[in-house]
Amino acid sequence: MNFTLSWLREFVDFKRSAQELAQTLTMAGLEVESLLALPSRQEKHEDWVMAVAVTPNRGDCLGILGLAREVAALTGGHVRLPPVLPHAKGSGIDRLVDVEILSPDLCPRYSARMVLGVHVAAAPDWMKTRLEACGIRSINNVVDVTNYVMLETGQPLHAFDADRLATKRIVVREAGAIEKLTTLDGVERELAPGDLLICDGATPIALAGVMGGSESEVQWDTHGVLLESAHFHPACVRRAAKRLAIHSEASHRFERGVDPEGTLYALDRAAFLLVEVAGAAPVEGVVDRYPRRAKPASIVLREKKVSALLGVDLPRRETERILKALGMKVRGRSKAAVRVVPPSYRRDLAREADLIEEVARLYGYEKIPSTLPLVRPAGGGLDRRLPRERKLRAFLLGEGLTEMINLPFTSAEMNQRFRGLWGGERRPVAILNPLAQDKAELRLSLIPGLLENLRTNLAHKARSFHGFDFAKVFALDARGAAAEKQQLAGLFYGPRERTGLRSKDGTPPTFLEVKGIIEGIFEVLGIGPEPACSKSDIGAFLHPANAAVVRLGDRDVGYLGEIHPDFCEASGLEPFVVFELDFEGLAEYAPRQLTARPLPRFPCVERDLAVVVDDAFPAERIVRWIKGLNHALIEDVEVFDQYRGSPIPEGKKSLAYTISYRADDRTLTDSEVNQLHQQLAARIGGLFGAQLRM
Amino acid sequence: MRESLDTLRNEFLDRIGDGASEQEVERLRVEFLGRKGKLTLMFRGLKEVSPEERPGLGEALNDLRRFVEEKLESRLRELRQREKERSLKAETVDITLPGSRWERGRVHPLTLVMDEITDVFLAMGFEIARGPDIEDDYHNFEALNMPPDHPARDMQDTLFVSEARLLRTHTSPVQIRVMETRKPPLQVIAPGAVYRHDDDATHSPMFHQVEGFMVDSQIAFSDLKGVLTHFLRQIFRPETGVRFRPSFFPFTEPSAEIDIQCLLCDGKGMTQERQACRVCKGTGWLEILGAGMIDPEVFRFVGYDPDRVSGFAFGMGVERIAMLKYGIEDIRLFFQNDLRFLRQFA
Repeated sequence: MNFTLSWLREFVDFKRSAQELAQTLTMAGLEVESLLALPSRQEKHEDWVMAVAVTPNRGDCLGILGLAREVAALTGGHVRLPPVLPHAKGSGIDRLVDVEILSPDLCPRYSARMVLGVHVAAAPDWMKTRLEACGIRSINNVVDVTNYVMLETGQPLHAFDADRLATKRIVVREAGAIEKLTTLDGVERELAPGDLLICDGATPIALAGVMGGSESEVQWDTHGVLLESAHFHPACVRRAAKRLAIHSEASHRFERGVDPEGTLYALDRAAFLLVEVAGAAPVEGVVDRYPRRAKPASIVLREKKVSALLGVDLPRRETERILKALGMKVRGRSKAAVRVVPPSYRRDLAREADLIEEVARLYGYEKIPSTLPLVRPAGGGLDRRLPRERKLRAFLLGEGLTEMINLPFTSAEMNQRFRGLWGGERRPVAILNPLAQDKAELRLSLIPGLLENLRTNLAHKARSFHGFDFAKVFALDARGAAAEKQQLAGLFYGPRERTGLRSKDGTPPTFLEVKGIIEGIFEVLGIGPEPACSKSDIGAFLHPANAAVVRLGDRDVGYLGEIHPDFCEASGLEPFVVFELDFEGLAEYAPRQLTARPLPRFPCVERDLAVVVDDAFPAERIVRWIKGLNHALIEDVEVFDQYRGSPIPEGKKSLAYTISYRADDRTLTDSEVNQLHQQLAARIGGLFGAQLRM
Repeated sequence: MRESLDTLRNEFLDRIGDGASEQEVERLRVEFLGRKGKLTLMFRGLKEVSPEERPGLGEALNDLRRFVEEKLESRLRELRQREKERSLKAETVDITLPGSRWERGRVHPLTLVMDEITDVFLAMGFEIARGPDIEDDYHNFEALNMPPDHPARDMQDTLFVSEARLLRTHTSPVQIRVMETRKPPLQVIAPGAVYRHDDDATHSPMFHQVEGFMVDSQIAFSDLKGVLTHFLRQIFRPETGVRFRPSFFPFTEPSAEIDIQCLLCDGKGMTQERQACRVCKGTGWLEILGAGMIDPEVFRFVGYDPDRVSGFAFGMGVERIAMLKYGIEDIRLFFQNDLRFLRQFA
């Protein structure tokens, strides 16, 4: 709400400077967003335009009168009203127009006056200047008067050209199924059931509280004017304005609540101004249909509740002083409470809490002390997830990955290519009102975001890019229910960088190095079962061979792999590896309970075993088989080398394992271990068709 | 012969004097102890000596040999030590070259700030709650006292995924979800991503909020002031000026907007060159938090009796706090993920 201080001064006296007033209003909840000096010829009459951000509950402050009431309450001044021209007693108007309200719930009150013989012309300069300073374009003296009064009172007015009304019968009703109205802005609007219409007989001439129709608008040849000053239901106005995307000064005010008791004052004020600036002759009488008179709220305010909610003991005298300053009437008192009736323009005050806010607001938030509450144990338990998230991040940072935070929006095309870990029957979540067509879906996978980050950084000449994203992905199931889960993805492009002198021998992380990082993640999270890699079809974006699903028990919890060479070629990229893990799924595995083992008392004996197997033979099979024996003397087994080439025949490879033997009650003898090892080697040779290399 | 022993000893001592090099020491060893060395020859000469004199003289010769050997040995050690020290000093590492280590990854600045915020509240006894990003109208609006057609919905331009579901416009629905399932006392924060139909230098369609609330039998507005003042002074500076002014949120009553003194101009509203401060636009204050006492209507929605419990709630934008803390002027920098930007944060 923009207004000039000179205009405000017509309604209330105050001694404060413009800056002081701005501070006072801001600290009372009417935030002054800007204060601009108006150019003026005389220094003495300096004027200011003040812009106040009026919160949606304070429709009463969308008029200077309402602001003046606030200023008076805050500074101890008195509000004075500008001159009006009350209607003369008589039924003149009834002979010219009739008003019928068919939807009284949506239109609780409709008041109207009429003037004749107007000379439509440009408004006088003083009026134009004020309107323009307040951000309203001048049209002509009649329309300007309606806007001027709206700015003063907060009551939107509408002027109809009385001669263009065919039936002289104003009907307020809801729109039917197929109706149209061309509004003042020249746009033909399709109306919908539930829209409230002002009709000339059966013909719509205005969309109530939103915008008038062009048919009945005041024009240069207009003589008779019907002034509408009505009260419309806020939600009804809002629905229509929203649907038609019209945001007018009138709809803005009706949505936020206009004083239903103020319709006649606004008409009388407008009549006064029309006589003054348009030479109008007022018709005697007034039409005032008021089928739904709102019962004023009567609110009990308990003294104890005030002090308990605010944390400060206010003397009752102070509370009552504040309530009265705000125009409230005290209708009864008991030892512990007062009964209060708020004024009709404060439609936001209906409950005790509303009054407490008013008391606090006028008392001053700054005068309420600061205290620290006693925190009682809530029994919610410690958060398990936060420490795990922090450990995970710390681990990844140590591995050289930088955290990315990406918007979750992506295109349908990207979602088709990168389906993440969702099963086949899942569909992407679409945004009904997207910001752009290539942001019309929510991501199924974090990979597209990381690819975008890679591109951004390569464009800025980054030599390498190692990034991770730890965020949610979204999908719909077959029944259309939305699911979301926290996921972790990483991308490793180029060799990991070192500070200092540049080394020439860096290579990008390989599949196995990234697998190592995934194993590290499981270790950091303390997840009991060990992850296993298996071949599975994850998506065409991955390398057909150098890619694997990460399984935990019988569940797929992630994947890793090289991006498909075709993709890299098409994008001019070197080969690189990505991974994506379902953190939500991992989080279900409780951290393993750690129990420390004592150090072994007897030495360990290590023996190596090398076997020649088919190229496709998975090294892990022999490890699993040996571990599966649960042999009391076999402590550990690990694969430590893989070799292809001479003298190993084509199509074969050599795998080398180290087996650790240990007894926990004695030192094993060489011959004992040799015997055990030979037996083991022989069984492995037989079981896996492996040729032993001794 | 005794005299020639003393002469030999003196000669040896003269020769092994300071200037001797490693080779010289070796030469001396040969000259005295070698097969034709002076001492060796004297040992041979023992045969010529009378049997009475022989034991005494032999002993003296042995003493002299030990003495020579030890002297040679210690001289050699001394020389080697000196040589080692000299060669160590001669090594030429350029100690001004840059150090070398693996490049660390960096945590995103928003995570840094989110962690800082979270830690202040955890230390005050708050716990963490989380909620879905895809919300229903009931939790995002209605139960927060924003019925359909409420103008306050204009404050939050919504992205919809279906008629009934939307991307949450704030983290406040978590407040409802926690209160629906639990009873007071509650002190909870809910950090997370939120979404609005908005995209410019100061608005991103996704940003992050931390919602917090405290509900118990006797929580007052003064507690809200105390907790949030403490929080702001932890996050910014201990002497940061804080002001509370009335505002409006449908889910709190009374409501407050909380400002801190401008970090750039220290609340003066003006730069040293007497220009209006561009960060606070000359007001000296920066809006940082929205808060208030939880509206009794909200308590009714979750089945609490507003006459038995009271509480406060607050919400803040993580990007805004990060922008103010680090002097970042364009919110889009957070989501472009340019390493040149991200690596500025330790």
